[in-house]
Amino acid sequence: MSFGAEFHVASRYLIGTRRWTPVVTVTLISLLGLGLGVFALVVTLALLDGFQSGIRSQIEAHAAHAEIRPASGRRIEEPELLASLLQDELGEVEIVQVVRGTCLVSSDTDAVPASVVGRSDAVGVLVDRVVSRRLGVGAGDRLELISARQRLTPMGPLPVRIRADIARIVSPAPGAEEGTVSIPLDRAQRLLWGEAVIGGIELRDAGDPWTLGQRARKVVEAHGVAVEVADLEALHRPLLTALALEKTMIFVAVGLMLVVAALNLLCNVAMVAAEKRKDLAVMAGLGCTPQSLRRLFLVLGLTIGLVGSVMGAVLGSGLAFILDRTEALELPRGVFMVTAVPFSVDPATVGLVVATALGLSTAAAWLPARMVARREPADGLRCE
Amino acid sequence: MDSGVSEGGMMVRVEGLTKGFGSNVTRVEVIEDLDFEVSAGELVAVVGPSGVGKSTLLHLIGLLDRAERGRVVIDGIETDDLDGAARAGLRNRVIGFVFQHHNLLDELDALDNVALPLRIAGQGSRSARDRAVELLASVGLENRATHFPDQLSGGEQQRVSVARALAMRPKLLLADEPTGNLDRDNAERLFDLVTELHLKVGLTSIIVTHNEEMARRCDRIFRLAPRADSLKDVRTI
Repeated sequence: MSFGAEFHVASRYLIGTRRWTPVVTVTLISLLGLGLGVFALVVTLALLDGFQSGIRSQIEAHAAHAEIRPASGRRIEEPELLASLLQDELGEVEIVQVVRGTCLVSSDTDAVPASVVGRSDAVGVLVDRVVSRRLGVGAGDRLELISARQRLTPMGPLPVRIRADIARIVSPAPGAEEGTVSIPLDRAQRLLWGEAVIGGIELRDAGDPWTLGQRARKVVEAHGVAVEVADLEALHRPLLTALALEKTMIFVAVGLMLVVAALNLLCNVAMVAAEKRKDLAVMAGLGCTPQSLRRLFLVLGLTIGLVGSVMGAVLGSGLAFILDRTEALELPRGVFMVTAVPFSVDPATVGLVVATALGLSTAAAWLPARMVARREPADGLRCE
Repeated sequence: MDSGVSEGGMMVRVEGLTKGFGSNVTRVEVIEDLDFEVSAGELVAVVGPSGVGKSTLLHLIGLLDRAERGRVVIDGIETDDLDGAARAGLRNRVIGFVFQHHNLLDELDALDNVALPLRIAGQGSRSARDRAVELLASVGLENRATHFPDQLSGGEQQRVSVARALAMRPKLLLADEPTGNLDRDNAERLFDLVTELHLKVGLTSIIVTHNEEMARRCDRIFRLAPRADSLKDVRTI
């Protein structure tokens, strides 16, 4: 049987000719079920992608895109030379020398441990919301940073401490649970080391943040510099892994709707096979091979799957796009980083949803198709 | 697979054919150890009471069903060892069927119904439809091509069914009570059409019928009797 004949008969079964038949009804029900499943999955994943792309944007906007770290020990040798080399080789990238340590941060009333970062680009003292909330301080308040490093005084060894007036309260880095205080590099070096030590070099490239680490790694390897390069993925691995896992779990959970729709499709195609038993026997009598009858039902299932999933994908993507553009679903101000529920339609994700729906439709049509192909034509003629 | 009449010009040879339905206590032997031959070009009627196995015999000869034992040779081809696809190919190329209840596909119009065997054989839509127009004209239904089965009378439906059976220019025509659902006039007209086409196309035809008058117009009559009534299932009169 040529593919044309299979498609011809299958299309007549699907859309009917002049009257409403039970086959058309079950076809519409299957289409609706599959379309709804795809629609729900596309909208849900667009919502998730919207929030996740917001988090990724925050990472790109506020965090380092790559970081050079000592291969061993806690200091980078000849940091100025390395920074100059990176600037020459990588072109327009921001380079910030940093030193890190943990201090006790105290206000007039309380004290909490926090991460202290000395940055070459810092002009004042920036405190993130985690520290400001814990200590109950704001811009203009004075803090004391107490290091674990000690210095010898007439009264014996005492921890090194500095006083700093808060210039600004900033958002914490995405995924950061420990509070951070950023201070100018020279003050941090005095506080943490007592000498001009550089513990790391942060790199930022707003144009292509996700490949910066790879490019920096090539430069240091080419020049034989003994340092480690952490790219954006490595710097935020726990958060990015959690986001990917969240997307996978949502896909699987909401994707169960597609499985239910596929089971409905299986029942409906089996119903068509039962109702058209006589037709199938006649077609077999006219020369249809068992394989071609099987193909006919696979065409039926695939057509329902294709139309249903494309319909669901188009409607779902369209709705997500409109909701994102119009910011129709507003969020309470001050609670979230965004003011409206964000949606982001990722063509690859939509493609994956459609491919899953098509795969399930084919699997659902396979069972009745196999059943049809195994019958002797006379069985269908005898049931008249 | 070689084609062409062989075995002494026999189009159909059946030997020791056995077929039953059900199992254990519900088992009914419909056909048992049946021998049967039809020469090329013959017009043969198969008659017998209801339930004696006439349709089952036609299904076995037409490769629509498989016998439990025995041999079916069609146009010189041993069919017992053929797989489903080869049997389907033989049905498409060599055998034309006319069923009792016309069995046209309700979703296709008369033209598409007649063109269906040609499309199944892989012919393009246009050439299949051209041939279907020709066939509908040969059964006097050229003006009913775009009508659907439920828009045709019983006689017209059976004439479309005859046209469809002849679409692939088969060598063997099998008709299972083709006039069973028609009134006397329409039954006469259809039988005249079948016999006329049988001669014109040069077919070998086997027609199952209850109508003794029509059966007598055939070259031979095979009377299929219940096993209890005769030692041999098939008698030639």
